[in-house]
Amino acid sequence: MPDGIVLACLVGLPFVAAIVAGLLPTRARDTASMLAGAVALVCLGLVWSAYGTVSGGGVLRAELPWMPQLGLSIVLRMDGFAWLFAGLITGIGALVVLYARYYMSAEDPVPRFFSFLLAFMGAMTGLVLSGHLVQLALFWELTSFLSFLLIGYWHHTAAARDGARMALTITATGGLSLFAGVLVLGHIVGSYDLDVVLAAGDTIRDHPLYIVALILIVLGALTKSAQFPFHFWLPHAMAAPTPVSAYLHSATLVKAGVFLLARLWPVMAGTDAWAWTVGLAGLITMLIGAYIAIFQNDLKGLLAYSTISHLGLITLLLGLKSELALIAAIFHTMNHAAFKCSLFMAAGIIDHETGTRDIRRLSGLNGPMPFTARLALVAAAAMAGVPLLNGFISKEMFFAEALSATAPVHPLLNVLPLAAMLASAFSVVYSLRFIHGVFFGSPPTDLPRTPHEPATWMRFPVEILVLTCIMVGVLPAATVGPYLDIAARAVLGDATPYYSLAVWHGVNLPLLMSVVAMAAGVTIYLILQRRLREGMDGPPLIRHLDAQRLFERAMVTLSWRLARTLERIAGTRRLQPQLRLILIAAIVAGAGAAFVRGVGPGNLVPAPIDPVLALLWVVGAACALGAAWQAKFHRLAATILLGGVGLVVCVTFVWFSAPDLALTQLTVEIVTTVLLLLGLRWLPKRMQSSSAREPEVLGRTRRLRDLAIATAAGGCMAMLAYVVMTRTPPELLAQHFLARAYLEGGGTNVVNVILVDFRGFDTLGEIFVVGVVALTTFALLRRFRPAADSVELPEQQRDQLEADEARHARDDGRHVADWLLVPFTLTRLLFPVMLVAAAFLLLRGHDLPGGGFSAGMVVAIAIILQYIVGGTEWTEDRLSLLRPPAWIGTGLLLAAGTGVAAWAFGLPFMTSYFSYADLPVLGKVPMASALIFDIGVFVLVVGATLLMLIALAHQSVRGRRSTPRTLPQAKASPRVADAVGGGG
Amino acid sequence: MTHAVELPLWAAIVVACLLLLGAFLTLVGSIGLLRLRDFYARVHAPTLATTLGIGCVLLASMLFFTVLQTRPVLHEVLITAFMVLTTPVTLMLLTRASLYRDRREGSPDVPPIPARPLPKDGAER
Repeated sequence: MPDGIVLACLVGLPFVAAIVAGLLPTRARDTASMLAGAVALVCLGLVWSAYGTVSGGGVLRAELPWMPQLGLSIVLRMDGFAWLFAGLITGIGALVVLYARYYMSAEDPVPRFFSFLLAFMGAMTGLVLSGHLVQLALFWELTSFLSFLLIGYWHHTAAARDGARMALTITATGGLSLFAGVLVLGHIVGSYDLDVVLAAGDTIRDHPLYIVALILIVLGALTKSAQFPFHFWLPHAMAAPTPVSAYLHSATLVKAGVFLLARLWPVMAGTDAWAWTVGLAGLITMLIGAYIAIFQNDLKGLLAYSTISHLGLITLLLGLKSELALIAAIFHTMNHAAFKCSLFMAAGIIDHETGTRDIRRLSGLNGPMPFTARLALVAAAAMAGVPLLNGFISKEMFFAEALSATAPVHPLLNVLPLAAMLASAFSVVYSLRFIHGVFFGSPPTDLPRTPHEPATWMRFPVEILVLTCIMVGVLPAATVGPYLDIAARAVLGDATPYYSLAVWHGVNLPLLMSVVAMAAGVTIYLILQRRLREGMDGPPLIRHLDAQRLFERAMVTLSWRLARTLERIAGTRRLQPQLRLILIAAIVAGAGAAFVRGVGPGNLVPAPIDPVLALLWVVGAACALGAAWQAKFHRLAATILLGGVGLVVCVTFVWFSAPDLALTQLTVEIVTTVLLLLGLRWLPKRMQSSSAREPEVLGRTRRLRDLAIATAAGGCMAMLAYVVMTRTPPELLAQHFLARAYLEGGGTNVVNVILVDFRGFDTLGEIFVVGVVALTTFALLRRFRPAADSVELPEQQRDQLEADEARHARDDGRHVADWLLVPFTLTRLLFPVMLVAAAFLLLRGHDLPGGGFSAGMVVAIAIILQYIVGGTEWTEDRLSLLRPPAWIGTGLLLAAGTGVAAWAFGLPFMTSYFSYADLPVLGKVPMASALIFDIGVFVLVVGATLLMLIALAHQSVRGRRSTPRTLPQAKASPRVADAVGGGG
Repeated sequence: MTHAVELPLWAAIVVACLLLLGAFLTLVGSIGLLRLRDFYARVHAPTLATTLGIGCVLLASMLFFTVLQTRPVLHEVLITAFMVLTTPVTLMLLTRASLYRDRREGSPDVPPIPARPLPKDGAER
């Protein structure tokens, strides 16, 4: 098979299967697990099929250029090292799927679980197969995210939610740091391609930015691999189902950090900075993790801290300046995956069959579950490093490295073997505790369930893994030797040193250290046994060093206190200061630019003033001033005056022969005014500050300042318009459009042709914005609760209801229907006429003034009119088609679909086509594809306008429902706004 | 109005007369709006402008363009229809609102609410 297909299948297949699994019914446990198992096995087979290439030192590589100009491509690359990890991920994945089939309860939504698990498998495979640094960071974040979903799988428990959130916060933040790090790395090397980066070791280490890249990348790796001081998320992640712990938190996800460090080892390691950061973090983690693990009472907690400790060991090995240490690290990664995964599964079996994971409650399980006990015993012995098991061999290698390490400073050199022995002794202690505490001692009593052996197939994965532990432990060179060699050679290349994988190296110092550590471990356990059995409240000495509490405190400080403080300092909820700031910023920016660059006089002579137009403008200006004057205390009057201004603008457009603009302006003006009137109803009443009146001077100063700002802003706008209009633009785009509108766009209405054809892409973007704005308005107003003093029914509506009740308890709203009978009938007659007018505007838009936008506005106005006169309920009972979100969606699909359709003819996006069609009644009608686009605009505009309208109009319906029918006597004075809009 | 010169004399005279009449009626309506004594009286004045006044202007427009383009131009009929439909709606809404408020405030100038419902309503149900 070609490389590309193998690699693409390896990454893509799990994701596809994840989607399929997610679509399965909730109870399809068997189907989902079969699917997941089959996918894992197929992937394992694919990995195996690559063995031939990889074992010869070859590299599978597939590249899909995305944005080659920016050096961004999708590169999949499998060398020996990635091959080994891919094998681990898929192989253990298959075992975990089998285990999970029996572990997960039938009541759980199991397909969702397998969907996440498969997606995680794909993300993890993608991570190890990434041949591009940015892509690697992307998959890295994806694994964090899927880990979040998996930890939070039982989201009904608080522990799962908190654990998931903490894991996501830590690992995703680390992922961002890694992303920044790889960007720096890419900047240093000049390419993000892994092959190029791996060949540029000296460039990287000598670059001044090396330290920055190192710190950022190491932060990413340490958070992911749960290294001190970021280790605390891992124990909390134990709230996940045990298969997840076995898969993610022992074998794969947490190994991603180690993987990355090993991957970049050839180019970044070897410096003191590397040794200090990586080595020191590993050393501390190894000791602290092992120490805390001893005192855990939860089986999974013990295993989690043990995992932290072993990851620390691997990290420490990576931090040493030695090729052999790297090989030991890779080897231990594999060994740890085998024994820790089986231990987690064993812990899961115990939890599943007894109902508890508390070591203090468990004992003597050897009797009821002998097979599981044997398996766990072997796995724990491997963890402790007992000879003839795989853990022993990697531990020996570790001791040998600890003895021969050339650490940057002398004290560390002396401490290292001692620390290695101590950690090893601790691991003996917690392994003993696990085995002795759970399986030996008096027979179990008082357990939630009667323990018994699990289903045979549930034990099968554990058996396989334990068998691996034994085989690798007895015959390392014959079993795992070739694979380790492939992986090591892929990382180190020609620099791979000689190493020997054997159980017996003769009596030497590492062996002696092993014996001492073993003896020390047993002794410590014997001393601590009784106290541990009674249960200790956390590890001694560092009991109060609760990383979780520190984390919570940091989170609260960051996300709550800091945010609140910043909001208090820099934010305001009042609109006036916000508007003031925006205006001032705009004035300063505009005037500043004009001042710096200078503005000369224009080259065009202003046309003489037409007295009629001047008169019109005087009226408009008076309206504008009046609106500003009345805005504070007479909102209705201000709104009406604003409408006057809009009409003057509209007439001005007509005057200067811009009928399209005038039409748009007119319709927009109407809709805006209606929306403003609807909003008026919900504004709070004028504030009564009679007792604590602010000083007159202060108020006057404020108003004067606002006047100054407003005058300046308006003056600047006027100046800008004047300056632009008194000069010829250097290149008249208008000529270009005028010349080509008919020839290339097939329309004689240049404005419309520009909108739907020449600049169709802009229009597409604009209507998207309109749709988003409408949806946002709706979302904001959906939860809107009006001000306290406007929540009551308006007086007129109360009167109407009273009248309805008084007169034979008639239907609500009959009174108002009687009152408005004539206008109501006339408006209903008008509705179809307006629709015809809209259709007229829409169809002729391409050649004559009109178009989708104005047609849409006309339809919206027609419906608004029904709302105003007929009332919300009446209108919605009759217009069942009135589903604005669907209209918005349809409009967007139509418009975008017209653009996409051009692809079908091999033309670029949004290419238009036109001809004329002879329709039976309408005659010759231009049929440009732009017309469909325009219909899309039309539909969207109708939907968006109505959605905003409904969002406001429904307030009154909702308000009426939420307030009692009979209210105490009115306090509010009658208001004209309510009287006019009373029906709606 | 650059095309106005192409208009035959007879048509020009008629159009001009209609336009002047329309403008005059509109002016009268506006003055009425300004001068009449209370709201209910004033409401009637603008109707002069929106019916007869606009009607004359629309007739003038129809004639003007029909003669110029030598084919019947009937857009103005639609405008007339809209005017005829919308003007009463607007004014009725205004009058109803005003009447409501005056009654609410107990103004002596308006008749009170009819005491009994019309019997027709009961029969309808």
